Amino acid sequence: MLDAQGLRKSYGPVLALDAVDLTVEKGDLTAVLGPSGCGKTTLLRCVAGFERVDAGTVTLDGRAVAAAGTHVPPHRRHVTVVPQEGALFPHFSVRDNVGYGLDRSARRGGRVDEVLALVGLDGYADRMPHQLSGGQQQRVAVARALAPRPPLVLLDEPFSALDATLRTDLRRDIRAALRADGATAILVTHDQGEALSMADHIAVMRAGRIVQHGQSNQVYEDPADPWIAEFVGEAMLLPATIANATTVDTALGRLPLRGAAGAAGRVRVLLRPEQLSPTDGDLAEVTRHEYHGHDTLLGLRLADGTPLLARVMGQRTPPVGASIGLDVLGAVRAYGDA
Amino acid sequence: MPRPALFVAATGALAVALLPLVYLLIRTGEAGLGRIADEVLTRRVAELAGRSIALMVVVTVACTVVGVAAAFLVTRTDLPMRGAFGVLAALPLAVPTYVAGFAWIATVDGFEGFWAAALVLTLCSYPYVYLPVAAALAAADPAQEEVARSLGRGPWRTLTTVTLQQARPAIAGGALLVALYTLSDFGAVSILRTDTFTRAIFTAFNLGFDRTGALVLSTVLVLLTMVLLGLELVSRTRGARYAGGGPRRPATRFHLGRLRIPAVSALVAVGLFALGVPAASLVRWSIAGASRPGTLAEIGAAAGNTLSVSLGGALLTLLLALPVGLLTARAPGPIATLVDRLSYLAHALPGIVIGLSLVFFGIAVAYPLYQTVWLLALGYATLFLPLAVAAVTGAAVQAPPVLDEVARSLGRSPFVVLTSVTLPLMVRGIGAGAALVFLTCVKELPATLLLRPTGMDTLATELWTHTSTASYAAAAPYAALLVGVAAIPTWLLGRRTGLT
Amino acid sequence: MLLPLAFVAVLGTTACGDDLGEPGDKKLTVYSGRSEGLVKPILDRFQQETGIEVEVRYATTAAMATQLLEERDKTPADIFFSQDAGALGAVAKAGLVAELPAEVLAKVPDTYRSAQNLWVGVSGRSRVLAYNKDKVTVDQLPASVLEVTDPEWKGRLGVAPTNGSFQAFVTALRVQHGDAKTKEFLDGLKSNAAKIYENNVQIVADINDGKLDVGLVNHYYVYELAKEKGSTPEDLAAKLHFFPNGDTGALVNVAGVAVLEKAATDPDARALVDFLLGAEAQRHWAEETFEYPLVDGVSPPPGVPTLGEIVAPKIDLNDLDTLDVTTTMIKEAGLAG
Repeated sequence: MLDAQGLRKSYGPVLALDAVDLTVEKGDLTAVLGPSGCGKTTLLRCVAGFERVDAGTVTLDGRAVAAAGTHVPPHRRHVTVVPQEGALFPHFSVRDNVGYGLDRSARRGGRVDEVLALVGLDGYADRMPHQLSGGQQQRVAVARALAPRPPLVLLDEPFSALDATLRTDLRRDIRAALRADGATAILVTHDQGEALSMADHIAVMRAGRIVQHGQSNQVYEDPADPWIAEFVGEAMLLPATIANATTVDTALGRLPLRGAAGAAGRVRVLLRPEQLSPTDGDLAEVTRHEYHGHDTLLGLRLADGTPLLARVMGQRTPPVGASIGLDVLGAVRAYGDA
Repeated sequence: MPRPALFVAATGALAVALLPLVYLLIRTGEAGLGRIADEVLTRRVAELAGRSIALMVVVTVACTVVGVAAAFLVTRTDLPMRGAFGVLAALPLAVPTYVAGFAWIATVDGFEGFWAAALVLTLCSYPYVYLPVAAALAAADPAQEEVARSLGRGPWRTLTTVTLQQARPAIAGGALLVALYTLSDFGAVSILRTDTFTRAIFTAFNLGFDRTGALVLSTVLVLLTMVLLGLELVSRTRGARYAGGGPRRPATRFHLGRLRIPAVSALVAVGLFALGVPAASLVRWSIAGASRPGTLAEIGAAAGNTLSVSLGGALLTLLLALPVGLLTARAPGPIATLVDRLSYLAHALPGIVIGLSLVFFGIAVAYPLYQTVWLLALGYATLFLPLAVAAVTGAAVQAPPVLDEVARSLGRSPFVVLTSVTLPLMVRGIGAGAALVFLTCVKELPATLLLRPTGMDTLATELWTHTSTASYAAAAPYAALLVGVAAIPTWLLGRRTGLT
Repeated sequence: MLLPLAFVAVLGTTACGDDLGEPGDKKLTVYSGRSEGLVKPILDRFQQETGIEVEVRYATTAAMATQLLEERDKTPADIFFSQDAGALGAVAKAGLVAELPAEVLAKVPDTYRSAQNLWVGVSGRSRVLAYNKDKVTVDQLPASVLEVTDPEWKGRLGVAPTNGSFQAFVTALRVQHGDAKTKEFLDGLKSNAAKIYENNVQIVADINDGKLDVGLVNHYYVYELAKEKGSTPEDLAAKLHFFPNGDTGALVNVAGVAVLEKAATDPDARALVDFLLGAEAQRHWAEETFEYPLVDGVSPPPGVPTLGEIVAPKIDLNDLDTLDVTTTMIKEAGLAG
């Protein structure tokens, strides 16, 4: 559906996109995840046509919309956007907002009510934007973007202005709506939870480059480098020594390796808090609790002072000060020391 | 609107605004350097420039004080009858300086000279500050003030360090218009006998029909304008350009307490000085004089002409201001800033110079338009473009660019986006700009005299005709009608100021 | 929605008014530096009598002259009706006007027409000293205009230096007394704290109200003021003093007309010039605008000495078009920008 190759864009001396490649398959939701200032919004604006790329090509459905000497203007790209604050047209009703991108026959054909139902807002068509809550406004913005059945929908941090509980519901509903409509979408976000929970694929961006692109679980479980590991989820990087082709030695004992060992000798291995399970023993001391309701994050300290985190489900939470042993679930990924 | 089209349209508008400068360049070029030096490098010119600058400073400071104070009282205090005062404070803008000047000199013996001119100019032009500042204060986010108060600032410290800072671009913009207007004004300074640069320019035209000398002097005004534009640019803060979308809470109002009566008295006094004195004079003229105005049909024709040419002027001016304002708001950068600044460059030139430059343009380039209402409307556009540009730039805040982008992404062409999203959202601000330009067109005289179609009288030209033969009683109804016509848009402007 | 339509409607009615016009098409465009109130009635009469349609553009004489200089051969104007000889001279000097036939010129004394036959005066006015009869007695009145710089008039005199008539008067001073004497006079006005006015109307009004004692103006302003007050000059506090003995202060200047080059052969233009010099128009000047008729056989306004009685200074009005030196001197004296 979308194929972007070698995109380059700079604003004066600032290089915002540095040879970005990105492919999105039809019906897929890809999250572009990165810290603020990494260039992800620029990427989105280049795909939408709001910015001209300095170099590279953007192909949509086999049609080159941006290439050397080609710049298809935004209104001929059939790529719709959902901006951060929704940006509903304040002088139009919900119906007119959603119908804005439709031709007359589509408007009459009930498409507006159809997409409003899709985002859970049937019956709101005649309201004005200022009569809606922030979450409702965002739903309308999504409905408006879906209405013309665009080949690609771009969502630019659409949930960042909403509060947490609202956000969870909205993510789920929007995800469902996108899927129900068979839409292909790119979600730009700096929130790894949002990316992981919504996207089929994640492209991690850093300093104008895409540093890893893969299925969501793959990016989480098998990050390409320690920076990605720490950016996507809670990460602990333990010093370790390669024992052989399949195992490493760590302060938590010998652990199985995921993938190749890479360099020999001293490495660091990635552990996620949910990989550590408390057992009886005196390997570590519990230093603090971080209670999340459905789980608790335990702060731990090994005998040599190394701090660790363990996620514990349910009621079996050892008290602060207790000495515990630790089981390590699954394999670990090793990174050569840079 | 796509950038290239915006640039082209803005450049076109700029060409209109800069016509007078082209004309000045051509005519002063003919004069030669020696002549220019002879005209400009004299003690007399230095004196005039000094007095013009002094008058400009005094009037600008006074207008800023009166305008900001009135705006604050109307929008941020528990002043009684705020709605009525909000409109009253705007109305003096409807009184031309030549009417106010005549009224004062007829009312107060020996009312003439620098301070008299300063008073009349202040009374007639402080609404240029009042209107935008009241709007800015009414729209400013009260959260900033609340934070300042919570951090231990008292009400007055909060006012000066936060509230007025929020209104600073509006204050600077209004003060700039006052300063440029003061430089260009001929009505008040000639009637109240203050020798300023502009009076010297008119005098040069009258003395031996010395066009070249007058135009060489005019270039000095353009140089002064450049300095002012630079100063205003420096004073602008790079603040948030677009209004946030959050829910708006009304700001807390200051309790005037014991200041209530002085505050009301001050506003009433300004109203009496600015409106009461001219009104009383007009009544006196009507009663004392034996001359009679034309028939009702003639008065009606003049009023109709005033309405239609002012409306045409306002529409054309807004049309030209739109690309310049949108460019400033949408494609900020050095080019947009330059275009915006350049549109002000001819604004301090007296009406007679603008008029002559359009005569020149009409004769040399657009002869079919010469002495038609179209060239007159173009003259108004040249004179008042900056007023409209400021309004459009301000209105663009109501239509942030993200809405354009969304609309474009939904498959709508730039033109459709402009007409279905951008313009409808800006319509109130554009309307305010049109009202302001309309009322200044109603008051305009020197350029109207030069550019009007032969045989077409407006209220302003009729007023001039009758006062020039001392037929004050005949002039009075035209003056009253002129102020009345100008008061309608002024009233609308005053009403929409900060009283939501 | 209606208002833009009204705008277009105005366009429709006015755009046709400024076609260049053909000779003899019964249409004339007049640029008038004289006020509408003064000349419109007589131009209306002309239209009635001849069927020639007259479009008149009114502005100050200086603005009209400047506009003509800017328009040059593209001017829509056929006739320039000027308040004073100086502006006519300036436009004539720029080569914009046509020579007038000898029989037209012959109606007016030599003094009141162009030596090059380029313009002709149609009405005259005398410079006078207007005074308030309660502030100044007849025996205190100066015999010569040069005396108003004497200390006894300090702060009591009003002048309008940007007014064409004042400039013509100063030029006349130079012709009669030389530049040195004129400079002395102008400096004297300045050091005597003469009050600077924008126009003569205000001077006469202030004299009548007792705000000013004396002023150098044209004779007819007192009549205009009386008319506005609905009374006669006899009832006003402002009175006229005609300087005697050929003093420069009694200079007689004229309002006159010139025919623009494009209308050189237009019989309509010729008809208007003839009409303005005809008996009816000449009577109009005397009776309605209180000016001096310039053609023999018409009486001057009541209450003023006849042109013959005024011992006007020996000045050729053709000398009054060299205004640049005069204006420089007025500027240098600090009387105007």
